[in-house]
Amino acid sequence: MKKRWVVGLLVIGLVLMIAGSGIAADKPVKIGFVYIMSGPFATYGQFAKQGAELAIDEINQAGGINGGKVEAFFEDSTGKPDVGIRVIRKLVYENGVDVVMGLDSSGVASAVAPVMKELKTPLIITHAATPDVTGTNCNRYTFRISLNINQNIAMASTIAADMKAKTWTTAGPDYSFGHQSWEYFQKYLAKKKPDALFLPTADVAFAPAAATDFSAYVTKIMNSKADGVLISLWGGNLIDFVRQAGDLGFFDGKREILMTLGAATEVLYALKEKMPEGLWVGTRYWFQANDTPLNKAFVDAYFKRFNVYPSYNAHGAYGAVKTYAAAAAKAKSVDKEKIVDALEGLSIELPVGKITIRPEDHQAVTDGVWGKTAADPRMPIRILKPIRAFAGKDITPPVGETGCTMK
Amino acid sequence: MEGFLANVLNGLSWGMLLFLISMGLTTVFGVMGVLNFAHGSLFMLGAYLCMQFVRWVGSFWVGLLLGPPLVAVLSVLLERFLLRPLYGRDVSFQLLLTFGVMLFLDDGVRLIWGAAYHVVNPPQILSGVIPLFSQTYPVYRLFLVILGPLVGIALWVFFAFTRWGKILRAAAMDRQMAEIVGVRVPLLFTAVFAFGAWLAALGGALAAPHQSVGPAMGERIIIESFIVVVIGGMGSFPGAFVGALILGFLNSFGTTLMPDVQMALPYILLSVVLLTRPRGIFGEEG
Amino acid sequence: MSALSRRPWIAGLVLVAALLAAPFVLSMYGVIILTEILTMSLFAMSFNLLFGYTGLLSFGQAGFFGAGGYFAVLTLLHGPQSLWAALAAAMLGSALLALAIGWFCVRLDEIYFAILTLGFGMMLFTVAHNWRSVTGGSDGLGSFSIPELSLFGAQLTLFNPKNFYFLVLFVVVLGVLLLLRVVGSPFGLLLKATRENSNRVAFVGANVRSVRLFAFVVAGALAGVGGALFALFNRIASPEMLHWAFSGKAVLMTILGGSGVFLGPAVGAAIFFVLEHVITAFTTNWMIFLGAILVVLVLLFPKGVLGSALDLAGRSRRGRNP
Repeated sequence: MKKRWVVGLLVIGLVLMIAGSGIAADKPVKIGFVYIMSGPFATYGQFAKQGAELAIDEINQAGGINGGKVEAFFEDSTGKPDVGIRVIRKLVYENGVDVVMGLDSSGVASAVAPVMKELKTPLIITHAATPDVTGTNCNRYTFRISLNINQNIAMASTIAADMKAKTWTTAGPDYSFGHQSWEYFQKYLAKKKPDALFLPTADVAFAPAAATDFSAYVTKIMNSKADGVLISLWGGNLIDFVRQAGDLGFFDGKREILMTLGAATEVLYALKEKMPEGLWVGTRYWFQANDTPLNKAFVDAYFKRFNVYPSYNAHGAYGAVKTYAAAAAKAKSVDKEKIVDALEGLSIELPVGKITIRPEDHQAVTDGVWGKTAADPRMPIRILKPIRAFAGKDITPPVGETGCTMK
Repeated sequence: MEGFLANVLNGLSWGMLLFLISMGLTTVFGVMGVLNFAHGSLFMLGAYLCMQFVRWVGSFWVGLLLGPPLVAVLSVLLERFLLRPLYGRDVSFQLLLTFGVMLFLDDGVRLIWGAAYHVVNPPQILSGVIPLFSQTYPVYRLFLVILGPLVGIALWVFFAFTRWGKILRAAAMDRQMAEIVGVRVPLLFTAVFAFGAWLAALGGALAAPHQSVGPAMGERIIIESFIVVVIGGMGSFPGAFVGALILGFLNSFGTTLMPDVQMALPYILLSVVLLTRPRGIFGEEG
Repeated sequence: MSALSRRPWIAGLVLVAALLAAPFVLSMYGVIILTEILTMSLFAMSFNLLFGYTGLLSFGQAGFFGAGGYFAVLTLLHGPQSLWAALAAAMLGSALLALAIGWFCVRLDEIYFAILTLGFGMMLFTVAHNWRSVTGGSDGLGSFSIPELSLFGAQLTLFNPKNFYFLVLFVVVLGVLLLLRVVGSPFGLLLKATRENSNRVAFVGANVRSVRLFAFVVAGALAGVGGALFALFNRIASPEMLHWAFSGKAVLMTILGGSGVFLGPAVGAAIFFVLEHVITAFTTNWMIFLGAILVVLVLLFPKGVLGSALDLAGRSRRGRNP
């Protein structure tokens, strides 16, 4: 009987060993991607995956990274911080990835960034915007090539300062992204327009990310004293909000509206004509914002392959892969420490324009774009017209203000 | 004034949807003694099927008409082959079985239709808005507000005045006696379960234009309908109606007036009811 | 064979020895999975104290599990930088919560008990989700540093999953021994008696409510310890840990393994994670499989995998016809 137990345990051990061991070849370059692939934000993960695949195919066709073919592993963070940590551990320990890219949720990013230090693996953030991961919580292994809240709200507050609205409120998701967007908006607008008023926290609208019925929030805002609304809702939340708000008469012109992420093509495709015209919306990348050959090639290739225009999330994934390839070329290696060193200070031309990764906080200085929604009979979605472009150096706060003390 | 009215209407429209679903849950519990965890998944299936019919045929009404019966057929299979073997056993096992079915269906929906959210537009006649003082209100929600009580009254009439209704109530009160007088209880149970599923799916189909259709729909509504049924009284229609209204108003007014605790209000109410009057507002002494 | 039935603790020793040896045999990822299995085993076994032994189905145990996680992280963020302090805070805090909540819940029976525990669990969830200033809101509490562990004079850094594994193993074994003590004692017999027939127990003079409350507090305390381990391991305490769906996991694992056997929930946890690992390798829709397996188990193998296996072993041993 004892022998049976010993044998049984050995068998279990063997099974676990086989299940647990990842056979990693050292030739291919492995990139792990973590996006939200399910729930109200699933289309963002889908568009990002498409952007990543486009970039990887382009690179592999040109010979790969430092001679090795690029392999991609995609994981679903489901927008939850503990799941994010779990899948990143899986990517690093089981799949043996050389770098992790992605992250849609600021909540996940804040949780994951410190863990990258333990994993000693570089993380290139392409979407999550909380300033903390390149600010108060910055660390050697965490990078971001996309616009963060600081930069986006700098643009929003500039536009807000020119609007006639005096009292502002917000409708945002009830996690760090919504709260921090509001916090920074108040901070920046107060500087540009000292007489601006802001509703107290109890009167603004923060909705749980899982909410699908926003009517109560819409009603709350419409019946408040505010004549300006900062909407930081995104993804499925924004789609639901715009539909329901439209029905309730929210867009009757009685209030100024700023949608910090309204120009996501995922949202514009879902809403089509339900997205009102004449709204100021922001984005991290707009496919029509510049005419460089690089951008045109990217948009054409993406449209040809996927039949939709690339969103900023698609561009983020695409840009991250290209940035990594550039860093690997600079370092002549994919060794994680060398990549981290190579990424610092790296400048690269992406479809969005030229970005430079600041060595002090690992945040990319990148140009930004806001625009007014407009109809265009030739296009299946709302486009931006007029477009207001902001130069990266004008909207990115100096390192001293970010709270990052890495260097 | 508009704010108050809008909140009332918001509360009513969500409340009526909740009422439809809770009616199914409470009927099944009242007659069969089964608390069906998968009820929310059946609601979700109704929404998805409606969406699918809209894609195929372009008509919401077709989806509303054909979706729920399909779900009812599925539920007949569920009851006959999965639930029936457990009737003699501990109530916990029934709960666990329906929990497993819930997991299966929730992921099954993901498998068939994908993990993303879908948008369903209300039918032409019911889309659009009507003016509400200086604001507007969507017609579709008003439709829900009117439809809810109508269905409720129809069902109440059925249970109170028709022969079948009386048989069902008899079987609920005393299963053994009903069998003795010749009622085929197993068949009755299947019928009731299918009826409950039909109601849930109907609620789902009606909910599809009201909110986005997604794989998490079932999870949220099952808890809210549990709470409605417990607060109102298991097996009671007026209970389900009142309970659903209370929850609907807690949702709309709570968000405006008490945003920090709004999420907890239904659970607080649930606990208070369970501890002071466990049979619910309209429930009968069990 | 007879040696084992006379001294079942030999099997336990062999198991612990195997677990001690595991990190030297498994890959790093295997160790991570095993850590998760151990943590969830503690949670599921604490749940089973209520379900299998006392006959109370609680859908709110995640409330104590998650609360333990938050207490532990809050200790590290605002209090002494000591792991033992964090674990103690988790255990004590969850026990107190369980005492307060249990006092209400044990008044009810069966389904009402299940629903009330669900309600209280979700109230705790709301607190964790909405009280941003203290709990970090829906983002959870992270950004704490895991202090080094001083054990027998040596300083162990716990960044390495293998080191953390040993901590988890140590704590879980302690928790399991505590549980063993409770169910093996006369009190444990009393628990099982209340499960079978609470009226008779009341007739012989025992206070059913107090018995249940005591079990509730022990279960809550151990769930809290499990939650602390979980939060420390994942470097974050998040509101999802308190959600009823998370309670559902403990229920699932217990049914999988078998609620009638002491180690049933642990086996269930192991099956759960191994299944997940294996199935997600070829599809993301693994919940379908889990749901189907649960249905099959409830219908055909209500004693769970371990329970049914032991049954089979018992029958063949005694030579009885199946």
